[in-house]
Order: sequence, then structure tokens, then C-alpha cells
Amino acid sequence: MRISHSLEESHAIAAVLAKQLVGGERIILIGDLGAGKTTFTQGLVAALGSTARVKSPTFTVMNEYPVTGHPTIHRVVHCDMYRFTAPEELRALELEEYQSPDTVLIIEWPDALPTVDWHPTHIVRIGHIDEHSRSIVIEEVGE
Amino acid sequence: MRILAIETSCDETAVAVAHDIDDVIQIETSLVRSQIDIHTVYGGVVPEVGARQHLEMIMPMIARAVRPDGAGIDAIAVTAGPGLAPALRVGVEVAKTLAWTWGKPLVPVCHLEGHIYANWIGDEKTLGTVTIPAFPILALIVSGGHTELVLMRDHGQFERLGETLDDAAGEAFDKVARMLGLPYPGGPAIDALALKGNPHAFAFPRPMLNRDDAMFSFSGLKTAVLYELRKDDTRLTDEGFRADIAASFQEAIVETLVEKTMRTAGKCAPKSIVLAGGVAANALLRNRLTVAAEHRGIPMFLPPFRYSLDNAAMIAAAGYYRAQHGDFTDPLTLVAHPNQDI
Repeated sequence: MRISHSLEESHAIAAVLAKQLVGGERIILIGDLGAGKTTFTQGLVAALGSTARVKSPTFTVMNEYPVTGHPTIHRVVHCDMYRFTAPEELRALELEEYQSPDTVLIIEWPDALPTVDWHPTHIVRIGHIDEHSRSIVIEEVGE
Repeated sequence: MRILAIETSCDETAVAVAHDIDDVIQIETSLVRSQIDIHTVYGGVVPEVGARQHLEMIMPMIARAVRPDGAGIDAIAVTAGPGLAPALRVGVEVAKTLAWTWGKPLVPVCHLEGHIYANWIGDEKTLGTVTIPAFPILALIVSGGHTELVLMRDHGQFERLGETLDDAAGEAFDKVARMLGLPYPGGPAIDALALKGNPHAFAFPRPMLNRDDAMFSFSGLKTAVLYELRKDDTRLTDEGFRADIAASFQEAIVETLVEKTMRTAGKCAPKSIVLAGGVAANALLRNRLTVAAEHRGIPMFLPPFRYSLDNAAMIAAAGYYRAQHGDFTDPLTLVAHPNQDI
């Protein structure tokens, strides 16, 4: 577990994960409202070398960020299940189309659909400690 | 010119038919799926799923709006982006098919541009007295997915001056509403509850006001509300406390939006300011912006309520001006652009 005391530290922790990625990963982000899931994603996307403007996908559902200059990763797809209420709604997203070796898939609020098995390669858990501090746990899921 | 417009960029399936009278757009038909009795159109149960829902609803809705041979329609406008790829594709493919088989010109429209053009739609009640915004226009687009300041020098000429770095304003409204146990969508619920509260009860941050640019950030404001609530959550049962939180939060977000808009107006000297997007329905934002614009002597345009949320009438309006400039696309090659920029 890492403790972040600032936006910059959260970005740095995300950058550590970014260094391990090669493409094809499926990362789920778990944390309450305001925990910093989008902040973490901003750090991760920037660390992959992308200048894309990473914003919360709560209403847009899915944002796509191009990555240039990385040897194997060419895009990050940033999804948010916050507004989803039933697993059937997932089919409409055609997520399998975004599962390719040059793509990193990031899913916020996977817990909104508790019956779905996300088959994540990484689970990131972000917890509130106090107004400025967060606990961040990155777990790599074995095959 | 009479236009058929189709919008399926996210949650809403929408179809509209419009024509112009002296450059003011008159809406003949505007159908929005969530606002109509689905059974009367579709005659059955519709799946509660995004793109599937668009697929099931789009043709029955078009059949209600136009004749089967497309007679009387001069052009077809469709939202090509930005939005959710599988949802966008439904509208784009239907529009392409109709344009090709009917032999009508096809006009792709940007969803954000559409929101701005809601301000060119004549309201039935004010027919004949409607004026349209003069260029250059400063547009504040505020919705669940977007918070942007856009300078529009002429039809089709847009420059983004600023946007949110994290959450959109509408999203902040919705998430604070959820913290307060209010129903979705949260914007109208906060608006109503705030009327009973004290807007100065809590000093929530006015994010990014210390920065001399047109950027926004609402994630920190959302978190500030969360931490105020966490201090003692037994207060949440007190209606007066919840009203004070709603009012103080709304005050912070509206003050930030208005202040940033007016500062930007001070730099780019627009001849008009327009409000656009779903949060344009917020009464406090409408009032404050109008007062601030009046103070600076800049005419302020507010979109009719019913064309603030996602709809196809605004796409018809944007499509009309693009069509006036011959901005057509080959129906065989148009593709949806989920990441399209204004």
C-alpha cells in the first residue's frame, strides 16, 4: 500500500503502474466518490507519454485517449460504470472491440455492476484517509 | 430549407424536423425518446440498453416525423461526434442510408456545436420577436459530460478557450445530489432544494478562480462537499442542513461558472454570450449570467428550456447553417467520430 498526500504523489504512484504496462491490460479502479480515480487515470495516461485531456467519463461513459511514442501501447480506453444499473447494458458498449494488445482498458466504478466478472489484470483500490491523503493499493491479478 | 435531424450520441434517441424563417429556426417536430410514450411509437417493450435502445427506437421515431419517401425534406443532419461510439454509429448509419436512398444532401454536426445552436431556435411564444446572437459569440457549454468556453467568430468557426480538467459541472451537480440522497438527475433536485437553503452557510471552494485562464475543475468542489458531510453524517436527516449544503454548493459552482465566463468575455470582447447544454436549465445560473452580462452591456442568450438537454432540434439548427454553406458529406463515407473536437 502506498500513501499519497497530493495530486502529484497520486500521479507518481500511477506512473509506477504505467511503467509495467505493455498493452492489453484491463485495470479496474475501485474507490468512493472523490477518492481520486480520475486523478489516478490522469497520472497513468500522462506517464504513458500521452498528452490527451483525461476527464471523468461518468456521463460520456467511455473516453478514448490516443498514445503516441510508446513502443507497444497506442491508446487508453477509460470507461465509467457509475450510471449503469444492469449487466445487459454492458453489451451496448461492445467492450470486446476495445480489447486489443495495443490498448489499455481502465474501468471506473466496476462495483456498480457487482455480478459482472471483469477479468482484470490489475485492481487499483483507492481509499480516503483524510481530505488530502489517500491509500492506493495496486494488485496484479494472476492468470 | 427543411431539415431532418438525428441525434444518438449518448443516452437520448432524438429526431427533429425544422425549417427556417429568415435565419431563425422553427421546429416542426422534436421527438426525444425519454420524453415520449414509448409504447405509442414502438408498440412494444424497449430494451433499457444504450445502443440497442437507439436501434429499436430510431426508425419508429423517424416514421412519426417524415413521410416514407422523404418528400419535403431538403437535407439530413446527424450528430457525428463526440459521443459513445456504438450509440453514435446508429444515428450516423441511419442518416447515411436515408440520404443515399432519398438522394438528399447529408450534413454531419458536432454535438457541442448543436448545443450552442439551440440559441437560434425560435420559441413559439416569442415568434416574430426572436433575435439571433451576433458574432463573435462567447458560448458557455455546461452539461453532464462537458464544461467548455468556446469562442465562435462566425458560423462554423469555433475556438475552445477553456474546459474542465476533470469533472463536468453537470456531473458535480449529480454526484452531490447523490451524496444528499436526491434522485437522478441531480441538477433539478439541487436547484429545487437550494431554494430553501442558505447559500452562505458553508464556504465551499470556488475552483480555479485564482487562475487567469478559462479552465475549470469541479472534482475538488465535489470532494469538499463530501468532507463537509463526513464531519457528522447524522446531520443528513435534517432537511434544513441538506438545503444549506445544496444552496452553498450551487452558489460555489454558479459563481465559478459566471466569474470565469465574464472574465473571458473581458478578454475576447464578444458581441453576445450564449448559454448551452443541460445545466442551462439551472435557474440560478440563468439569472446570474443574465445579470452579469447586462452589467457588461453584452446581450445574453439563453436556450429554450426544452432544447437545453440532448435533443435533435439543436442538431437541425446547426445543420441548417452548415447546409447554407454547402458543408455536405458523401453519405457513403461518413463515419462517427467519438473523439470529435469542436
